[in-house]
Amino acid sequence: MTTMKDAQLCEYDARKAHALGMGGEAKLAARREKGLLDARERVAHLLDAGTFVESGLFGTSIMAEERGRTPADGKIAGYGKIAGREVAVISNDFTVKGASSSAVNGRKIGHMKRTATARGMPIVFLGESSGARMPDTMGAAGMGTMLGNDPTQYQRMRETPWASAVLGHCFGSSSWYACLSDFNVMRKGAVFAVSSPLLVSKAVNEKIDPEELGGWRLHAETTGLADLVVDTDQQALDAVKTFLSYMPAHHRQAPPRASVPEGSGAEMGGILDLMPEKRTQVYDMRKIVRTIVDKDSFFELKARFGKALLTGLARIDGRTVAIIANNPLHKGGAMDVDACEKGTSLLVMADSFNIPVVILVDTPGFIIGKEAEQRRAPGKIMNFMNALALCTVPKLSVVVRKSYGQAYLNMGGGRNSDEMAVWPTAEISFMEPAFAASVVTGAEAGDPAYDAALAKMQRETSVWDIASIYAAQAVVRPEETRDWLAQMLEAHELRLTNGVGQHLMRAWPTSF
Amino acid sequence: MSRQEIKSEITGTVWKILTTPQQDVAEGDTLMILESMKMEIPVIVEDGGVVVEITVAEGDAIQEGQVVAIVET
Repeated sequence: MTTMKDAQLCEYDARKAHALGMGGEAKLAARREKGLLDARERVAHLLDAGTFVESGLFGTSIMAEERGRTPADGKIAGYGKIAGREVAVISNDFTVKGASSSAVNGRKIGHMKRTATARGMPIVFLGESSGARMPDTMGAAGMGTMLGNDPTQYQRMRETPWASAVLGHCFGSSSWYACLSDFNVMRKGAVFAVSSPLLVSKAVNEKIDPEELGGWRLHAETTGLADLVVDTDQQALDAVKTFLSYMPAHHRQAPPRASVPEGSGAEMGGILDLMPEKRTQVYDMRKIVRTIVDKDSFFELKARFGKALLTGLARIDGRTVAIIANNPLHKGGAMDVDACEKGTSLLVMADSFNIPVVILVDTPGFIIGKEAEQRRAPGKIMNFMNALALCTVPKLSVVVRKSYGQAYLNMGGGRNSDEMAVWPTAEISFMEPAFAASVVTGAEAGDPAYDAALAKMQRETSVWDIASIYAAQAVVRPEETRDWLAQMLEAHELRLTNGVGQHLMRAWPTSF
Repeated sequence: MSRQEIKSEITGTVWKILTTPQQDVAEGDTLMILESMKMEIPVIVEDGGVVVEITVAEGDAIQEGQVVAIVET
């Protein structure tokens, strides 16, 4: 005999199966054919096996007539573990009403965010959504029900790390969370923008290609809103895991210490060979960075944006560090507006999550000229400078070659780092001597006055002058740089606060 | 396949062109070297492909953002 309890459990099973079925087999099969993971497969790939605990499985549309057609209301939320550490996750299910934002799924996101913030765990946003759900949001009552009921919805105070993966077309909230996150990885073919191409074409009568509107090239190269671009869903999810491996669970904790891979530092003996003999020639600073840090630990961010400055996370002696380094391979290492914004963005993240900053310097200065001024270079240079000044985590600077002008300060000179070391190959002055000699003498190469001025200025850029007045705290042989950095990271540990900084930039804008 | 416009990152002068049309290029290859700020600045391929066209000549003064080559990737 079937009891009332049996019937209730049967209903539970049936409703659960329906919710787990997402938008139905036909839509799921179409995704599989394209090689795309569905929202639940993404969660499974992201989290340690068997750790996902869902929150809101039985949530549906608030509209009675839609309840049967909106499993989990298009946004899957819950808790789980990555490498044994707790995270909150929100995975957009595009097969249910395009994962559009609704009253109910908005509550799910809000609950995840509040819990993650209050309990101190990272949040992962797996983005693929079409924007606000219509007709739910239409009309004044729709707006009053749906939007604006949570004044902290788009507030970012950097209490815990946020990571976002853009895994499909993202308009509205998936775009907003991508921009608010500390790390944003984008799969090629995915798009994120304020509005869909369809809406853009209707609103401004402009037919536009999705890739052009918000594709990976735009965000990797022009806007800098993508920190990393990958080819597949799986690579994107793996990148989120890698990013979180460097991060503490929350802002009141130091980042985790990892074991040091065998072979770390093994190439230090040849580090100087990575730099050309001639000071007029350039080289790829990434090779220097990879040689210094723990083996295979350099995780570059925004690699195709503001390339004259390279940024990323890495480990030295198992400790997470944020790397900021001029890259002479691009623009000779002369920093433009994009490079300034890129540097600022890394400094804000590093300080917010208690990550010491390591700066490697080889720059002729900032890019100057009309274009730079039109793009507000002075403001951007000062934002970068201000961010460095407000950094309360340990800052270590190593001048490997050129350090000139205001850029000397932005890259940690003039007491803007806790310790500054110089390689014997370094040269420090207000301006590239060849330009300075020309400015001072009004003459060009070949003129005796110019040649004499140049010779004097070149002598005066030597590291011994800056070391003798203790404006540099150390002169290190290039091959000893890794050891020096490891020792200084230890010396400058924030012992009084258990490795936690002051987070003076926790409310700094998340994009630029 | 997509046509990528390779733009100069910097204002300067074309010093040496190291590639020719129809040549295969790989990520990281140097297409040409510019002279700017008393330095030799390479123009580097980000995505491998085939050089379709070199749009500048040695000795040309070029502006930041100017297209210097087309590569099909």
